[in-house]
Amino acid sequence: MRNVWLLIQREYLERVRSRSFVIFTLLMPAFMAGTVLVPEKIEQMNAGGEKRIVVVANDPQLAAAVGRELSAAKPKAELGLETEEELKPTVYSIQVDADTSDAEGDRLRQQVSNGQITGFLWLTDSALEEHKVIYSTKEAADFGQSVEIRNAVRTAVTKQRLSQKGMNEPEIDTMLTPIKLKTLRIENGREGTSGTMVFFTAFAMVMLLYSVVLIYGIAVMRSVIEEKNTRILEVLLSAVTPRQLLAGKILGVGAVGLTQIVIWVTFAILFSVPGLLASRSFLGEVHIPVEGMIAFAIFFLLGYLLYSSMYAAIGSMVNTDHEAQQMQWPAMVPLVMGVVLMNFVIQHPNSPLAFWLSIVPFFAPILMLVRILVAQPPLWQIALCMAIMVATVYGLLALASRIYRVGILMYGKRPTLPELRRWLRYAG
Amino acid sequence: MGDIVELRGIRKSYDRFVAVDNLSLAIRAGGVYGLLGPNGAGKTSTIRMMIGITMPDEGEVRLFGEQFHRGLLHRVGYLPEERGLYKRMKVLDHLVLLGALHNLSEQEARKRSLAWCERMQLSEWTNKKVEELSKGMQQKIQFIAALLHDPELVIMDEPFAGLDPANSVMLKDILIELKKAGKTILFSTHRMDQVERLCDSICLIDHGHAILEGDLKKIKASYGKNHVQMQYEGDPRLESCEFVQSFNNYGNYVEVRLKPGADAQQLLRLAVDRARISRFELLEPSLEEIFIDQVGKHA
Repeated sequence: MRNVWLLIQREYLERVRSRSFVIFTLLMPAFMAGTVLVPEKIEQMNAGGEKRIVVVANDPQLAAAVGRELSAAKPKAELGLETEEELKPTVYSIQVDADTSDAEGDRLRQQVSNGQITGFLWLTDSALEEHKVIYSTKEAADFGQSVEIRNAVRTAVTKQRLSQKGMNEPEIDTMLTPIKLKTLRIENGREGTSGTMVFFTAFAMVMLLYSVVLIYGIAVMRSVIEEKNTRILEVLLSAVTPRQLLAGKILGVGAVGLTQIVIWVTFAILFSVPGLLASRSFLGEVHIPVEGMIAFAIFFLLGYLLYSSMYAAIGSMVNTDHEAQQMQWPAMVPLVMGVVLMNFVIQHPNSPLAFWLSIVPFFAPILMLVRILVAQPPLWQIALCMAIMVATVYGLLALASRIYRVGILMYGKRPTLPELRRWLRYAG
Repeated sequence: MGDIVELRGIRKSYDRFVAVDNLSLAIRAGGVYGLLGPNGAGKTSTIRMMIGITMPDEGEVRLFGEQFHRGLLHRVGYLPEERGLYKRMKVLDHLVLLGALHNLSEQEARKRSLAWCERMQLSEWTNKKVEELSKGMQQKIQFIAALLHDPELVIMDEPFAGLDPANSVMLKDILIELKKAGKTILFSTHRMDQVERLCDSICLIDHGHAILEGDLKKIKASYGKNHVQMQYEGDPRLESCEFVQSFNNYGNYVEVRLKPGADAQQLLRLAVDRARISRFELLEPSLEEIFIDQVGKHA
């Protein structure tokens, strides 16, 4: 036991003290925050610019109405991505153009090209008849803008038609007030967290689990290869058993992964709590998902043990990182497949297929975790899944340590499948 | 004192390849024991079974008079043929780790490491990372690692391979010192000259079999002095003589090896008749010749 402890210590300290660990641990949250915050900031900075749009219409009243709707539009409101901070509204300067000839179209296209106007809206009677209105601009990728224009056109047209049917303006406004839908999850018989919150939490947790298991599984593999290459193994083997070596390595590297997660989660909580508290209004009751965190811890540990034992076995079979890359698919494919299947499971968490997929031990760390986070599956399913995983981890560790035991003393050509089978049978 | 290492009929095969076959040997306490054989003879496989890195398919390994168990390994120091160190660890930390894995307290391991480093003139390097050291210095660290826990039995697999001359001499001095301190030393090599100079007993291995084992002096004595170096004037025409096995003219002198059972006096009488002899000396056979002879017999 002392030996395993010494090996864990060595593995842990060398990694935690390394510059790359410190940099990675600090940069990752910065990067994550960056990917969320920077585009938003940029958008805020850019918002408020002036957009010059020409509305080409046979009916100047309709064109003016579209202009009014555009100027009144509340940015992002209809995108579903509500933010507490209001963006500065874009200032639209609308120009009504009654000339619907093709020549006028060409002239406007020219103006868009040389930047005199942002775009033009082809809102002719014939376009309305076909229910197909075209907005031509250079900034076609500005999704938010197209949505705003689409909504403005729809509302203006609807309002005009309704008023032609004899309704007055207040009536129309009441009719057109949109209804907001908010999804709440039922937990223990009561409405709890909002659906959006559940989704984002589940997604973030699964991606964290996936990336840490992958990064540290590969770290175990590379470390085995490095020990083979530096020829340190046989020096150690006169004092410790291969099993102790493997245990020390997997646990030591795992402890590093755990340390990183703890640091990141602490960061995340520190930075997100003020924001979450501020946005309670639309996320619903915010509460720390304790069961979710426990499930995350358990499935991270089981998943890490499962995949790192596979990676250790692969590492002991090969001699170079290059070879390892060709050989790592048996560990890589199931892990990636779990993430791919997550989409389906998140949408149908209680379907029979989701159940069967989530008890497959190689997918379980991702899929069962997702189900626990989004749907509260029955306890027996969770218990069954964990039992299967524990058994699989136990079996894989036994298998990996047999391969490792032989593999670490083998240099040269990597084994074929029949050779591998014989390795498993060696007395030691 | 009894046998420190005893192997009884051990056998190890990998797939269809038999690395060690029915090998028995006994190493007595004290002294230097050489495990000798060409590359691929099964030396490393034998050593690995001796210290439990691999288990024999058949047969028994006994250390210090007991059936092998891992608890005995703290009394053994091992320097493998394939030896390395963690590159990014600091020298002192590394030695302390290896000492601690051999059951030393960290304090004791640190004390001994510093003493060894001082002796090997590595004191300024103890806080450097291993990768900053030259290859020769790393070799010294590896010796220290094998000896740090003051083992009774020191096993070294091809210890001289790849050493620079300075380290080679230093290692030889250490081995002799250990021998004087009453330790038992086993080392393997394919170089006969080292064995002749250092070993008290040997075991010759070829194709996984022990073909000759025992006290080096006795082995040589049993071969008799069938080797003659002579100088002369004239030509005694000994090449064609019926009891001469081989004849080598080195210019300044010639070396004659007699056929088994032949008498050197016969050769002398013949030579005196034919030429003027200025030197005639009987020599023990070199280990190399014994080896070639034995391998030839078993082939």
